[in-house]
Amino acid sequence: MRQVWVTDAAAVTALGDSCEKTWQGLMAGRTAIQAVSRFPTFNYNSSMAACIDNLTPGDNQSLIQQLTERILCQLHNVPETSLLITATTKAGIDSLEKIRRHQPIGLPDILLSSLPASISRKLKLADKGINISAACASSTIAVAHGASLIASGNAESVLVCCMDTVTEFVFSGFSSLNAMSDTGARPFDKDRNGLTLGEGAAAILMMSSKAAGKHGKPHLGTIAGWGAANDAAHITAPARDGCGLIQAAQKALKMAAVGKEAIAAVNAHGTGTIYNDMMEITAFRSIFHNCRIPVNSVKGAIGHTLGAAGGIEVVLGLKALSGQILPPTVGLNIPEETAMDLVSSQPVNISGDYLLTTNSGFGGVNAAIVLKRGKTP
Amino acid sequence: MTAVITGIGWVSSTSMGCGTDHDHVSMKKGPLPDIKRKMVLAKPAKAFGRMDRFSKTGLAAISFALKDACLETWDKKRDIGIIASTTYGCLDTDIRYFDTVIPEQGLLASPGLFAYTLSNCFLGEAAIYFGLTGAGYIINEMLPGGMYSLQTALRILVSGENDIMVCGFCDLGNPIPLDNETGTDDTVSGALFFVIEKIPGKSCKTYGTLRMEENSRIFLNETAIDNWCMLADTCFKKNDAFKA
Repeated sequence: MRQVWVTDAAAVTALGDSCEKTWQGLMAGRTAIQAVSRFPTFNYNSSMAACIDNLTPGDNQSLIQQLTERILCQLHNVPETSLLITATTKAGIDSLEKIRRHQPIGLPDILLSSLPASISRKLKLADKGINISAACASSTIAVAHGASLIASGNAESVLVCCMDTVTEFVFSGFSSLNAMSDTGARPFDKDRNGLTLGEGAAAILMMSSKAAGKHGKPHLGTIAGWGAANDAAHITAPARDGCGLIQAAQKALKMAAVGKEAIAAVNAHGTGTIYNDMMEITAFRSIFHNCRIPVNSVKGAIGHTLGAAGGIEVVLGLKALSGQILPPTVGLNIPEETAMDLVSSQPVNISGDYLLTTNSGFGGVNAAIVLKRGKTP
Repeated sequence: MTAVITGIGWVSSTSMGCGTDHDHVSMKKGPLPDIKRKMVLAKPAKAFGRMDRFSKTGLAAISFALKDACLETWDKKRDIGIIASTTYGCLDTDIRYFDTVIPEQGLLASPGLFAYTLSNCFLGEAAIYFGLTGAGYIINEMLPGGMYSLQTALRILVSGENDIMVCGFCDLGNPIPLDNETGTDDTVSGALFFVIEKIPGKSCKTYGTLRMEENSRIFLNETAIDNWCMLADTCFKKNDAFKA
């Protein structure tokens, strides 16, 4: 199996228009969660979300177009022979809102396949690309799929772009499921009461080490292992025993050929819902037994960015490995009793070369990636 | 890179079922049948009545394919993955859901419909009903009928991640005219799924050997395959030989 290097990484979140700004916000313990002004929320069980500053649709456009511009402008010289994989759960679903309200729209971005088509065109890539849709693990699986193409020798360079936006379509849905917090997500807190939606994007360029050398690209980190598994238990609720997440993480650790003691930290999905966070702690306890491994969640700061969550967390995970420090879990006040020794509202120094990042979602999906520290800070 | 096809299942405007019970697959355009649980699942599934049309169609085809491969029954969860291609996905459900949001500014938003506005949900329903714990995801391709999910499933078998995969497509066509390059509604309505295995397992038959070249070109029994329907047709040609 060939090594899979991450050679470029970018992020846009509600904390800032770059990975660096997002990182600084996280480390300062800031949250971007605030009252939504994009659409009326008075009939929903929350008014809070983490929306990106000044992200407004252009004339008859979807928000996804602007977000695409903001993420792509951060990339440096993507080889035109790169394969393209995008990840989104709803792409430009705000265009559908307009269609159903009989408002004018221009280029509809409703179909998920329109995202790779648009990005391929903008970057002048030979590959038209595909989109992967697997709920909140979409981009985790997209990174895993891209890595597998490089590892197996089927590709030299793969670009993963992931994004989702805060729309009334999605907001109203999570409200109808009573899944949203009215005050802001507090992952792993004993008084957590739901998730908060966020919007964001990430781009991750992966290459074989040979291709990275040829193109003079830095080694930001390695996608060392990956795994995915289904709970086969419930469509919208996680399996209480964490069976799918355990299976996905074990596959990832096995592929990375590292023992659990090599993992320096875990970036959890950590949505702030009662059952998700409980399931994750159960799974991590099972995987790591009595090891006290630092765990964090970024969703109290940038919200739950759905299909973009896994990609953003890969970018931030590499940053954590590089600096050997795990950002605080923003929103955490008093930890859930079972997570008391794992999570922190303060940054935590870590020591090691590997970080496990996991995501789970509707449809019983679970995915895990083992990241390895790169040579370039 | 080789594997064998051990099961075929489909739902189309003209027929539905599995390979064992038919001698060909017809995927003509047209309205799809109203699928009832007893038509496709042997045991009760309490969620079936709540599912959207996209999920029922996809789940039914997967169910038929697993039955065809003698993998319908289980007593212990199995590490079998499912990958499905789609172009329009659950857009029809998206529309029906958002039409519940508009009238009272969200007050009447339907949680039952919202749960099915993710096109991977029917893979989760199949995973629950058949105890499948492998990876499950949707691949959205620009062109309807793309075979990326088959290529991916074959690569997963080769990598050793799974020994059995279910792959195919599910599409209900375009519910709204879209004035862009993906908006041409030349989609075959329905679902067609295949069970592919590294080595034949419980199944009493195979439909032949799949081979993928380095350039991702796929062959079944050394016949080059261009699309899903051609793959099914080629399966039946081989199957005739097996019956003889």
